[in-house]
Amino acid sequence: MAPAQSPAAPMPADRSMPPLLRSILGGLVVAVPVVVIGVLILWLAPPYQVRIAFAGYVNLVIVVGLQIFMGNANIGNFGHSAFVGVGAYFVAILATPLAAKKLSIPNAPFGLSQVVLDPIVAAVVALGIVGVLALLTGFIISRLSGIAASIVTLSLLIISHGVFINYTDLFKGAQAFFGIPVVIGLPTAIAVAVAAIVVARVFRDSQDGVQLRASADDVLAARAFGVDVVKLRFKAWVLSALVCGAAGIMYAYFMGAVIARAFFFQQVFLTLAMLILGGMRTVSGAVVGCAILSIGLEAIRSLESGATIMGVKLPEMLGLSGLSLGAVIVLGMAFRPNGLMGRLELDELAAGWLRRLRRS
Amino acid sequence: MLVVENLVVRYGPITAVRGVSIEVGAGETVALLGPNGAGKTSIVSAVIGLVPSTGRVSFDGRDVSNLSPEERVRAAMTVVPEGRRVFANLTVAENLRLGGFVRRRERDQDGERDRYLAMFPVLRERLDQLAGTLSGGEQQMLAIARAMMSKPRLLILDEPSLGLAPRIVARIFEHIVELKKSGITIVLVEQNMMQALAVADRAYVLSTGTIRHAGPAAELRADPRLADLAIGGH
Repeated sequence: MAPAQSPAAPMPADRSMPPLLRSILGGLVVAVPVVVIGVLILWLAPPYQVRIAFAGYVNLVIVVGLQIFMGNANIGNFGHSAFVGVGAYFVAILATPLAAKKLSIPNAPFGLSQVVLDPIVAAVVALGIVGVLALLTGFIISRLSGIAASIVTLSLLIISHGVFINYTDLFKGAQAFFGIPVVIGLPTAIAVAVAAIVVARVFRDSQDGVQLRASADDVLAARAFGVDVVKLRFKAWVLSALVCGAAGIMYAYFMGAVIARAFFFQQVFLTLAMLILGGMRTVSGAVVGCAILSIGLEAIRSLESGATIMGVKLPEMLGLSGLSLGAVIVLGMAFRPNGLMGRLELDELAAGWLRRLRRS
Repeated sequence: MLVVENLVVRYGPITAVRGVSIEVGAGETVALLGPNGAGKTSIVSAVIGLVPSTGRVSFDGRDVSNLSPEERVRAAMTVVPEGRRVFANLTVAENLRLGGFVRRRERDQDGERDRYLAMFPVLRERLDQLAGTLSGGEQQMLAIARAMMSKPRLLILDEPSLGLAPRIVARIFEHIVELKKSGITIVLVEQNMMQALAVADRAYVLSTGTIRHAGPAAELRADPRLADLAIGGH
């Protein structure tokens, strides 16, 4: 039998390097376009485009967080935006100056209307709260598979939204919670995105990541190799939640205001579509899907309001972006279920090209 | 080394294994033979803890009946499942790594991996290929190498010849002989009676969940009653 590389197979990796270092370097290679695009935006783009780009980087961190659980455990997750919301709301509650809190949440319980923490301390506490909630919910979700697990994640989203909307003393209901100190900019967002990518890649390549991906292929066979599927799903769920929580904290500290509807279905579908388009099996898939949809949706939004192209005035096409998102999910699932990246990370793809180039 | 006493496996109203008792000594190769539906795979699944059962399973003198599959694997019992069941979306290298995770740290795996890549050189050429894209014979080699990476003291091979061409089956059995010579204890589950008896020291012949015959492999090979069970025939 002749050795045949499958179309989906990467070129051989450099096995002389320690696995952890290989994963970190792989993650950094995946992060290169993220940094390059960010630097170009900082250098060339006007302030309103920097703001749009920031939203793109928040989405990137969310999608990478989503990939950690969904991509490795192969379980549909609709609840990740709950953790984004919790991260965002708790830095809002803890770091907003007293004067603004008097207007926003004067009746906050536990004396929270009188508490103001340093933004960094508030971020750590908010991340801790996300972690505790992830531990509690992960206890249930890690024991479920398939549709049952996905339905529970959906319920989590609906519960969190219900709490944000109805617990007005703490979350200000459907109104925007404003006055949050604006303490970060696009450079911080780029740094957080790079860190999230490296963390996700190290997890994917780690013993836990390999075992979890094996269990996604065949639970029984994985258990026959000593894989504790529940424990691994639990770990991935908590790590995923923490990354999503970090995205929420970024969002609050850049926008200066949060609102409950930002962490509901629209964000869930947008980030899911990004991951499905790029390919949920790889961290690179999360990056590629996020980049393509972020740029594509901005172009589509400019058409929605009736753009003029080459002298031709197009009609208003409100809802075109929503339609496009739906189309991406449907067409992606139908024609490219493994996404654009398949199972290849960008560094593996690059290594393959370089090797072929050297041979030729 | 392995003692199974009065094992019963039920799937709802169906009893697949009816009070089976088996003994496997250290370093022995023991075959479990029988036609489809004889209960062979149910016994294997119960021994490794993947299906609920009653009765007692002891390994190295320790009652493992109440241990999880994870704990049994860590105790050095490893199964090569029926139908190979390699992790199709992982690479060959990742499948091997996964086998090694059971009992050793990653940095200690290299020597062991090289040993099994030397035994199955075709795998070395395909380390970065998805396991699902390998041929059936290559997948079986990978499944055996993956199991051996866990450094088992008891290796259970569930129908290693299933669905493979005779030429490939012969090669797989050559590898089983090689493993046997290394001193590992093997339970070989097979429908392919004659080929299994040629490798095994002893055998149990099952039908409808009970043991019908047991004894040294050489005696069973010559036993005309086995032909009545219509197993193998190769």
